Amino acid sequence: MNKDELIKKWLDNNLNSQEQKAFEQLPDYKEIIRLGNAMTSFKAPEFIADKSFEALKPKIYTKSHKNWYRTLLRIAAVLALGFSIYYYSGSLDTNINTDIAQLTTVELPDTSEVELNANSSITYNNRKWEENREVHLSGEAFFKVAKGKKFDVITNDGIVSVLGTQFNVKQRKNYFEVTCFEGLVSIKYNGSETKLKPGNTVKLIDGKHLIAKENIFASAPTWLEGESSFTEIPLKHVISELENHYNLTVDSDEVDTSRLFTGSFTHKNLDLALKSITIPLNLGYNKSGSSIVLRRE
Amino acid sequence: MSQPIKDNICENAFFEHFYKKYAKDLHNFLYYKFGERLNPEDKVQEAFIKVWQNCSKISPDKAKSFLFTTANNLMLNAVAHEKVVLKYNKQPQKSATKESPEFVMQEKEYHQKLQKALSNLTEAQRVAFLMNRVEGKRFKEIASLLDISTKAVEKRIYGALKKLREDIKEL
Repeated sequence: MNKDELIKKWLDNNLNSQEQKAFEQLPDYKEIIRLGNAMTSFKAPEFIADKSFEALKPKIYTKSHKNWYRTLLRIAAVLALGFSIYYYSGSLDTNINTDIAQLTTVELPDTSEVELNANSSITYNNRKWEENREVHLSGEAFFKVAKGKKFDVITNDGIVSVLGTQFNVKQRKNYFEVTCFEGLVSIKYNGSETKLKPGNTVKLIDGKHLIAKENIFASAPTWLEGESSFTEIPLKHVISELENHYNLTVDSDEVDTSRLFTGSFTHKNLDLALKSITIPLNLGYNKSGSSIVLRRE
Repeated sequence: MSQPIKDNICENAFFEHFYKKYAKDLHNFLYYKFGERLNPEDKVQEAFIKVWQNCSKISPDKAKSFLFTTANNLMLNAVAHEKVVLKYNKQPQKSATKESPEFVMQEKEYHQKLQKALSNLTEAQRVAFLMNRVEGKRFKEIASLLDISTKAVEKRIYGALKKLREDIKEL
């Protein structure tokens, strides 16, 4: 082993006893050792890790608390945003629509029930319900109102108010009809107020105003059971209702649609429904696809 | 070798252990490389703080190298190219009577020569040499702390020794 290699091994504290002896024999040995010994005076100042760590801890751990704090703030911000979106969307109106031939039941926040007929819509506000029971209606619905504060049904043609009762409201084009089945119903329309007892109906059809007493004491309208009934109602309104329950268009140009119809038609069978309407009135019809043409027989 | 359990080091127990393991070596490294004037103690603390602040981005096996690199950079930011003069601490004599005044004088001169020669080394040589001769660290450990190969360490230390010997002879 040459001199350089020995010295390198010595530097690395890596001499075996044989190599150590050889190293001590080197001419440079004394000089090297002297240098090595003198190096100890150049030691770095003392540094005690334990002590300095204690000094570091407060600096570090407040900073990590800051991280916690910042994270907490971020979570709080997200939650706050989430809640305000939820609250805001909760304060918006609830809107329920039915399509053609579709019936649906809606339960209101106070367990009052609304049976919605086809092609109709109601709107109410969930959040404000406790202070104010108010439903906007377009179309036809049967209401079973839980006893409580004043309950209002608002339509374009009039407002129906009850305290706890069952009644039917129908508001279509040129057709406004309210039937009371139970309890007392107050109707504001046309600038006046009328009170209805069970079995009574108020109609405003084509500008004609009528208060009638129904002979048949049903507890609920027939349309809930799949049948639309009419008592001396102009044909054009019967056709309108037919179009609410079947997807079709009816051409009635050739017939007199102001004729009064008394009877009913089923929601479940188009041909049967058409026959129920046309036969009593001595009418016929042609059907092609979803288009019906009425004609005189 | 155990696998790191998590991807980062944001845990108090780990950090404390990590600190106590490397703080002194880091301090000495900074001292040997940059001298005392630029507060190696403070830089040690600063470097560890930076490690903690970035703990979520550092994996356990990269922590040591991150620490040393950060500390080195902190120092470099605080210094231009200055010649580093290390303090010479006179070691207590074993017995004053045994040494003659001439001997003491000679020793003092020698140490001064050595001090001057040390400041003439390159930074790389000086650091490696001091870690080896003063701290008693072997090549492998120095290589690990400085993130270089053992061969490179050997080259620096041996080079340092050679240069020191020449310089002392000259002076």
